[in-house]
Amino acid sequence: MNRTQLLDPKVFRAMAAVSAAAKKGLGDPGLAELVMIRASQINHCAFCLDMHLGLAREQGESEDRIHFLSAWEETEDLYSERERAALALTEAVTVLTEGFVPDEVYEAAAKHFDEAGLAHLIALITVINGWNRLMVSRRVPPGGRQP
Amino acid sequence: MSTHEEPVPYAPEEPARLRWAQHAPEVYKAMIQLDAVAGQGLDPRLRELVKIRASQVNHCARCLDMHSKDALAAGESVERIIQLGAWQESRHFYTEKELAALELTDAITVLTDGFVPDEVYERAAKHFDEAELSRLIAAIAVINAWNRFGVSTRTPAGHYHPGQHK
Repeated sequence: MNRTQLLDPKVFRAMAAVSAAAKKGLGDPGLAELVMIRASQINHCAFCLDMHLGLAREQGESEDRIHFLSAWEETEDLYSERERAALALTEAVTVLTEGFVPDEVYEAAAKHFDEAGLAHLIALITVINGWNRLMVSRRVPPGGRQP
Repeated sequence: MSTHEEPVPYAPEEPARLRWAQHAPEVYKAMIQLDAVAGQGLDPRLRELVKIRASQVNHCARCLDMHSKDALAAGESVERIIQLGAWQESRHFYTEKELAALELTDAITVLTDGFVPDEVYERAAKHFDEAELSRLIAAIAVINAWNRFGVSTRTPAGHYHPGQHK
């Protein structure tokens, strides 16, 4: 059965506005793509991976840093401490069903981001989780992005 | 045994980790706008059940506080709210259409267990026309977003008054 590709344009625009505000407030487009790729890996969103892998490459992200995202904890020297804290927070906020966001994960992130940075990082993780849900549930195929 | 025993106090309430809306006001405004358009045209009673169910699955205390109070204020029964935690075993409290929506809510909320199964999607598609289904999916995605803000910033429950954000 084909799944609906309908998405109310008002919902799309409102989601895009949340994304834009989160990204702007975070002020780190490179980190933003790493976070969005990692959440999309965990949520298995093909459409979102295609989009954010493309955006990361366009921004000049290295292939190594893209490839090893799904095993970032096992890598050395590929990601900064700040990025590692953001990736750990991404995983915790993405998988709420296995039990909240642990204090140590939150505190590590709070060490590297001020309150505004943290609020926008959480917002970015939240909104990519929203896009992941909109795309996976409707099984939107990858490849919809215009470079 | 004395009849005047002091009640055993509850554990203290912890403050929120972060008042995210104050630190990201543009995001908060955009979320309010998103919330207003997502689920527009959905049966408000069903929408509230979906919000409570997703908030249970994601363990969002603040969201449960808000949506159970809103549902009660809108005339929802206590039983139907309580049984949401075991809806699979309490199907006789809900319509087939509501059950299909709850099943879809669980699947879209727990993407990490593997996509949204065809049979779940197809049951929902039997009860909701395409436009309605698209709205339902948007409503599920958006309550999941509120759940993430609530849980990550550990916003405490207990302070919500029904209709406060309407």
